[in-house]
Amino acid sequence: MNLALAQIAPRLGDVRQNVETHLETIDRARRAKADLVVFPELSLTGYTLKDLVPEVALDPLSDPQFRKVAARTRGLSAVLGFIEERASEPGIFYNSAAFVSGGEIRHVHRKVYLPTNGMFEEAKFWAAGRRFAAFETPFGRAGLLICRDFLHLGAGYVLFAGGADMIIVVSAAPGRGVSEGEAFETSRMWELMGEALSYFSTTCVVYTNRVGVEDGVSFAGGSFIYGPGGRLLARAAYLEPELLVHRVDLSAVRRARMQWLFKRDERPEVILRSLERMVRDPED
Amino acid sequence: MTLKINPPFVEKVLIGFIREELRKFGFRKGILGLSGGLDSSVCAALAARAVGAQNVLGLVMPYGASFDADAKHAGRLARELGIRSRVIDIAPQVDAYFSAHPTRTRVLPGNKMARERMAVLYDFSAREKALILGTSNKTELLIGYGTVHGDMASAINPLGDLYKTQVRRLADHLGIPAFIRRKAPSAGLWAGQTDEGEIGLTYAEIDRILEFLVDEKRTVREAIAAGFRPSAVKKITLMIRNSEFKRKLPVIAKLSHRSVGHDFLYPFDWGR
Repeated sequence: MNLALAQIAPRLGDVRQNVETHLETIDRARRAKADLVVFPELSLTGYTLKDLVPEVALDPLSDPQFRKVAARTRGLSAVLGFIEERASEPGIFYNSAAFVSGGEIRHVHRKVYLPTNGMFEEAKFWAAGRRFAAFETPFGRAGLLICRDFLHLGAGYVLFAGGADMIIVVSAAPGRGVSEGEAFETSRMWELMGEALSYFSTTCVVYTNRVGVEDGVSFAGGSFIYGPGGRLLARAAYLEPELLVHRVDLSAVRRARMQWLFKRDERPEVILRSLERMVRDPED
Repeated sequence: MTLKINPPFVEKVLIGFIREELRKFGFRKGILGLSGGLDSSVCAALAARAVGAQNVLGLVMPYGASFDADAKHAGRLARELGIRSRVIDIAPQVDAYFSAHPTRTRVLPGNKMARERMAVLYDFSAREKALILGTSNKTELLIGYGTVHGDMASAINPLGDLYKTQVRRLADHLGIPAFIRRKAPSAGLWAGQTDEGEIGLTYAEIDRILEFLVDEKRTVREAIAAGFRPSAVKKITLMIRNSEFKRKLPVIAKLSHRSVGHDFLYPFDWGR
């Protein structure tokens, strides 16, 4: 399959403008014969929203702007990020990502781990999601994670145990830390997790990070694809916008699982029992 | 940590920052005060690379004929960078004020000059439709070595997260001429003044202590145990604490459910 990583710089708080960017990018990806185009976290809204959250929130089931983008996915799939507010749950906002295929929503993931310390204030402005789940796509089973979710070991594990062949991560990761390297120090953190998770879960890990500047903070870019077994297949530039299109052979998952038996030998029931005991009696 | 930076990478980030913030605020041009010192020279060089030298205006604002060498250096730098520059003498307005309200201190006229330069910059910002670029570095911001509403005032500040030592490394990379790089840093508050002389510590020492305390989040006790001079560590800690007001907007008395400065929270880049 052909993957397209849309390393864009969304305009903060301007859904209408961002919808246009999505439509153009989907068209470009289609011309490049992409089967799946992955946009970054909060791609329809921008990240540093603060009190703008209620103004940009939308219900993916009914919002005309969202439907416009979804409708453009005829013949391909897309992952896009938005602030979710369902009609059934008014006033409750989530940082969500949707997997849309052929105009239909296949899955919505709500960010579970909300960084709220130092420069981050997510839990002040939106609610935390409560589940991780793998789901079927036209290319096999996949899982969605949003930014910080990816850095928590349990999140990737649940998707792995749930049978995902591909773990898709969408991110709005600000670059932090400058030393002698040719990138922000934090870029290494994401790449390390991509390498480790793709290696030990024998899945394909797809990471789209955004670029651009919001309130003085530069988003680092450097989107990447790791093949099963920790092989770096492609990486986009740091800091610059890019549409990275790369051919990925998902049969590599099968070959990796014949070589590395992590999936076959995994014992989720042991993990579950251990966790249950720990949660029931944390003092134990 | 060692205050090390990769200058080409930092240059790239800061150029992106200047270019994007100018566009978002609807400006094509940038304006800044040129003192003939390191920070404003580095900022001017970055701005020239970000938006084109012809879109950068450097204001040289000497007080009469004092600091004549600095004003000449500023002019020379502007010519080398190919940016526009103008010289505006701030002596008439400063002298008018102090002839009515004389003082014997050196600090008050120094602060007044910094605020006059700020007032001229904001006036030219409006005349020229150019956004004001700040030149305060991280060292100055943290120890409060600047005049509030004076040289600390700006619209966007590309240098505010770089210590003086790091600005110097960036200056080498950007090819800032030696006649600027070799000078002792000075706020230009009075003739012969140097920052290090006035603070009583070298930038090399201040920056290493600041990095230890601020970036590595270590305590004063740990700093002293690590071998930093106790008197320097204590002095710097006090300077940081006593200057917090310079890094904030005025405190607003909260009355309503939604108050500016407390819980009316919007990004700078709102809809841009």
